[in-house]
Amino acid sequence: MKKYWTVFRVNWQNALQYRGPTFISILGNLLHISVLLYLWNAIYLGEQQLGDYKLSDLITYYILQLMINSMVLSYISWELGEQIAEGTFSNFLVKPLNPLHYWFVLNLSGKLFEGLLVLLVGGILSFILINHVTLPSEGMTMVYFIVSLILAGVLAFEFDFAIGILAFWLVQINSFKYMLQYGMFFMAGALLPLDLFPEAFQRIAHLLPFRFLLYFPIQIFLEKEAQPLEGFITAGVWIIALYLILQFGLKRGIRRYEAVGK
Amino acid sequence: MKNTFTRYFTLYRSFLSHNLKNEMMYRANFAINVGMDIFFMLVNVFFFKILYGNIDTVGGWTFYQTLILVGSVGVIRELAYLTFRKGFLELGEYVRTGNFDVMLTSPVATSAHLAFRHVSLTDSFGEGLMGLVLVGYGFAHLDAATWISIPFYLLMLFNSLAIYYGFCLLVNGLVFWLVKSQELNTVVYYFMNTARYPREIYHGLGKGLFTFLIPSSLIATTPAAILVGRADSGLVLLSLGVAAGFLTLGLLFWNWSIHFYSSASS
Repeated sequence: MKKYWTVFRVNWQNALQYRGPTFISILGNLLHISVLLYLWNAIYLGEQQLGDYKLSDLITYYILQLMINSMVLSYISWELGEQIAEGTFSNFLVKPLNPLHYWFVLNLSGKLFEGLLVLLVGGILSFILINHVTLPSEGMTMVYFIVSLILAGVLAFEFDFAIGILAFWLVQINSFKYMLQYGMFFMAGALLPLDLFPEAFQRIAHLLPFRFLLYFPIQIFLEKEAQPLEGFITAGVWIIALYLILQFGLKRGIRRYEAVGK
Repeated sequence: MKNTFTRYFTLYRSFLSHNLKNEMMYRANFAINVGMDIFFMLVNVFFFKILYGNIDTVGGWTFYQTLILVGSVGVIRELAYLTFRKGFLELGEYVRTGNFDVMLTSPVATSAHLAFRHVSLTDSFGEGLMGLVLVGYGFAHLDAATWISIPFYLLMLFNSLAIYYGFCLLVNGLVFWLVKSQELNTVVYYFMNTARYPREIYHGLGKGLFTFLIPSSLIATTPAAILVGRADSGLVLLSLGVAAGFLTLGLLFWNWSIHFYSSASS
């Protein structure tokens, strides 16, 4: 356990050192969100409505999207894929570390830093828009919300790790990765709430696990989720299944691994 | 004057053909790029498709009119890659390694040399192609489409390109202090990403902000508004003015900021 704590601490210091890119990416996302807020506002001013969302629900939806996005979504696959492609991944083979656990801790410390930063941004934003956001009416909602965030964080890491270890089999995957990540982002409800999708797509999105990344936690916060407990169980099953698949995939991948250039 | 123009044109042409030969060597790469561009454009279209499944108009724009808007962003992006964008993407590398020296000493303006250095036909080809398809498809479904609007549409596309270039100069000029450029490019990327929403959604402070500080509300809206017959002379004049302003400020700032370039290892 102690070795993973060291990994956590070292990466935390790294994150503090390279805060520029994190800050800019949050800023860029904030820009996009504010444009979307103008969009919803214009739509509601024209006395139109999206599903059963009030304007304040939608504003809350996107502020939460911005925050969860930074706290939860993992981007370690870039570095992981690079290490596999360049051969530096070999370091893991001689260390008493499980790569899956190592990257999980690495991701966690990065997310915690980004999370604190975005909590500040989101806090300021909600404060400005305090009269236009929907807050939960019951205390239990916050407990459910936090549970759903933890599940989302673990799931998001697992998906990203899966994309990362694709590098064992595919050499040039960057563009493919972009598409996978963006597709995931979309099916997680990042651009539009999933219940606004056409009927058939809603059913697909409901079966896929990506909704647990953003849509599910936000629905819980907005108290629109009818079956949170059932969702927790489904997400939990996905997490365990993916964990087993990833361990298996990692073993197979390492067998294929050629340690290029080392 | 004519002489200068010919000189720049010849320079542009030789850079273009040189880069094209380079790009031709990597055909698989080209195919992947096009595929990726089309994928992202389709996601954008899908976004609006879902949105318009719930409502009729956004800021007064119908679905087909919005397709012209989304398509125009793609076309402008491709035009930008054909004229200047890639040079700015690589600027950080030139400054970090000291290769920017070459541009300072060449007998053309650095702002032009940098722009032309890596003009690329294929980098954003999918976006341009898909953009044209969307604009054409949207245009075919308009009730009040007039052919006479097309030349004016093209003219305003180039005006938007000028705004984009001016914005690039202003943002990327900061590289001489930061030496890193990736974040600056991200800013420009997000700028173009917000251009696909109609200008009519903004009001109050936001309207001023997205016109004069981050002029993304004019980039696609002005040309598209002309094609769909929603433009008035006020909007056109505003766009022309903003383009002139950004271009002037951009060039002034750029020419001033290159004084802060400190060469490396040469």
